[in-house]
Amino acid sequence: MGRLRRTTELGLLVLAVIITTGAYTLASLGRDAEIPANIGPFLALLLGLFVGAHIAIRKLAPNADGVLFPLAVLLNGIGYVFIVRIDEAKARPDGLAGYQLTWTALGIVGFVATLFVIRRARDLERYRYTFLLIGIGLLVIPLVPFIGREINGAQIWVSIGPVNFQPGEFAKIALALFFAGYLVERRELLAMSTWRLGPLHLPDPKVLGPVLVAWAFSLVVMTLEKDLGSSLLFFALFVALLWIATERVGYLVIGGVLFAAGALFAWSTFAHVQDRVEIWLNPWPVAKDEGFQVVEAGFAVADGQLTGTGLALGNPLRIPEVETDFIFAAIAEELGLFGGTAILVAFMLMIGAGLRIAVRAENPFEKLLAAGLTTLIGVQSFIIIAGVIRVLPLTGVTLPFVSYGGSSLVANYILLALLLRISDSRSSRVAEGEFESVAT
Amino acid sequence: MNRQIARLGTALLVAYGLLFLQLNWLTVFNAQDLKDNPDNSRELLRTFDGPRGTISSADGVILAQTVASAPGDRFETQRVYPEGDLFAHSVGFFSLNLGTAGVERTYNDELAGETDELVFERLSDLFVDRSRNEDLTLTLRKDVQEVAKAELGEQQGSVVVLDPRTGAILAMWSFPSFDSNLLADHDTATATAVQVFLDASPDKPLLAKSYRERYFPGSTFKVITASAGVQSGQVTATTPVYPVTNEYIPPQTNRPIRNFGGSSCGGDLFQILKVSCNTAFAQMGVDLGPDTMISTSEAFGFNRDIPIDLPDPARSNFPTDFDQNLPALAQSSIGQNDVSATPLQMAMTAAAIANDGSVMTPHVLAETRDDEGSVVSTFEPSEFQRAVDPSTASVLRDGMIGVVGPGGTAQRLAIEGFVVGGKTGTAQLGTEIPSSHAWIIGFAGPPGLPAQVAVAVIVEGQPGASEQTGGRVAAPIARAVMLQALQPT
Repeated sequence: MGRLRRTTELGLLVLAVIITTGAYTLASLGRDAEIPANIGPFLALLLGLFVGAHIAIRKLAPNADGVLFPLAVLLNGIGYVFIVRIDEAKARPDGLAGYQLTWTALGIVGFVATLFVIRRARDLERYRYTFLLIGIGLLVIPLVPFIGREINGAQIWVSIGPVNFQPGEFAKIALALFFAGYLVERRELLAMSTWRLGPLHLPDPKVLGPVLVAWAFSLVVMTLEKDLGSSLLFFALFVALLWIATERVGYLVIGGVLFAAGALFAWSTFAHVQDRVEIWLNPWPVAKDEGFQVVEAGFAVADGQLTGTGLALGNPLRIPEVETDFIFAAIAEELGLFGGTAILVAFMLMIGAGLRIAVRAENPFEKLLAAGLTTLIGVQSFIIIAGVIRVLPLTGVTLPFVSYGGSSLVANYILLALLLRISDSRSSRVAEGEFESVAT
Repeated sequence: MNRQIARLGTALLVAYGLLFLQLNWLTVFNAQDLKDNPDNSRELLRTFDGPRGTISSADGVILAQTVASAPGDRFETQRVYPEGDLFAHSVGFFSLNLGTAGVERTYNDELAGETDELVFERLSDLFVDRSRNEDLTLTLRKDVQEVAKAELGEQQGSVVVLDPRTGAILAMWSFPSFDSNLLADHDTATATAVQVFLDASPDKPLLAKSYRERYFPGSTFKVITASAGVQSGQVTATTPVYPVTNEYIPPQTNRPIRNFGGSSCGGDLFQILKVSCNTAFAQMGVDLGPDTMISTSEAFGFNRDIPIDLPDPARSNFPTDFDQNLPALAQSSIGQNDVSATPLQMAMTAAAIANDGSVMTPHVLAETRDDEGSVVSTFEPSEFQRAVDPSTASVLRDGMIGVVGPGGTAQRLAIEGFVVGGKTGTAQLGTEIPSSHAWIIGFAGPPGLPAQVAVAVIVEGQPGASEQTGGRVAAPIARAVMLQALQPT
């Protein structure tokens, strides 16, 4: 079984690399009608990097899921092609593409290292409070004077010497680890219903504490760091895990109510939140000012039509922040409805694979962790794409694996390694014959 | 817990389904609306940074070309206008945020390589890396244009010079003008500031007054009144002889029309043309009646959209609602009342007389060439309208030549060795301190050959209101540009 998964993985991986190389070539043809001079080394580099990671998976997690990694590589590859293409189109290329390649390599290193260091995901459960501290610490660092930096209105950056990074991307993994561990420990207590409100079973108010703490924490993140996206992501993660762990719908309702209250508070308190909502509802009056980014993203996507303008034949540079938060608009512009849908399907397949791992995991901690990590990827991708194409108000987060950004890429590869590790721990036991009756 | 995980999966599936639906909406169903949105400048941008054909004058001077941008510019190419303000009103500009004007607008498809025939070619050689842009050669001549600019100097006004045989415009200058380069600045804030500044000026430097502004034509209009008379058969070179008088009282009123300075004049057609006799022409117009006057002025191009290959030409106006209001008709017959004309229209009027009564389609394009220098298309001259019969034109031609002769108001138009005809005009503005637009229209050519050049000059807001003003102020300018235009290129 493990062997079959690895063969599938290698096949899909080669396919992902071929698609990426093809897109890279097309972008070059679109730009200056030439096949890129470095196409050979480029292909070799991709193959070396990803097949290297594949060999590491064979050694370190031979029975792990075989679809997740190729999907990540495909998204990473498409994203990279767009970053190169956008970079080349600038009057003064800022070399983001080169950095992104470095971040990809670092991400693969982080991926392999995670698989190497963490041999059993359930061993992480006992460090849950350590992860809580790490998570909070990472979230708070950007607020520290001198090293914390505000970029584009969000106080979520840390600068140490020449290195800038977004610790929030790593904090989300630490918090998922903490939530999973904490909820496994407390799930029975939290699931006890002591009073009813209509059809809902609600727990004792004193065990509501953690929900309120998580909620308050999200609000603090939003208020102090002005990071709406991460705030929403953390809260969604916590409520989803709480619901899964306790199997109580009441928590979803409470979560929903608290979310509504928080959103109302944010809307009434912060001008920038009001702006976002107004731009979402009607960007046209401010199309040249605050709404410019969203309006231009809409125009870009409209230019894409069914099949896109073609790689390097659109005008994605019209959209501010197109390499990071708005990369999906560039993809939809140049690859059209088909390309945009392909990205959506890739994320849906990732979510499917991740949730399948969660369903199959025997250990409750691993089950919750897998569900949490999948929620992170699924919800984060959803809220940024939804913001870009005006399904929701814009909350700036990166599109996992696709957007430019070192912190995001490395953190998501580590997240992926954890998911693979969980899938492997179950598979290996299946392979060892422990659960033959349920093996699929 | 698995049930919840499955439901979470369903919820995320629904969420992504929403994204898919919205993506369909944006890329397919709502796409055209978004493309047509006035805030959407992507279509312009698509062509903005592409290659673009060069525009040259008839005498081979580059008027507009696309060059590499200055370092640091966000676009690769920059449109430049080496002649600055000299051709701004005709060549126009190609701006990132202010759109296009002039030839840059009317021939945008050719310049950008987007004409239908070239798209067809493009499909056939999809993989051949070849420019599809066409270079334009205009009929405008830099030498004539420069003379017009120098002669008009700092006076507000316009000069239009054309070839009566083809309608080719040789020069078209209005003062004040503007520098196209300023509006083509890639810094949209700078370009907008320049536009706002120019728009705020009462002198309207952005407006190509030569073909987009209307003025009272004054006595230059008498050429059309005379044409109507001769064409109708009621007036010949010798009959009728209009009485010598200093005032003419049209029917239905007791307010007389007077001659300039209260002088007396009269006589046959050539005599009244020569001295620009108001009383005689007012009477001629009333005698001809509204219908003849309207149909003749429309045959010259009044009340018509002028099919020039430049954007938004103004219509010249001759009233059509006299309804037997004969005093108004009398006024209109001497170019007053509600008559208004563009300088282009008056140049076309002179050209029609010089060209056997045929008004040629005015144009600035000579030909287009592909990137290898071979001609893609040539502007084929065509008749726009027939103003009058050749025989009528011949009578008027002789009459206008007489105006340049001894005793005529346009003597300063005479060029030795050439046959020159003309008609002056002084359109009084009714201002407190008397002032007027000084006009002249004319044509010139070698003896025994058709006229090669026709001209209209207006100098706005001249002090005084004497009929001599047109001949004194405008004629030397017209003479200089015609002299230059008669030199072979």
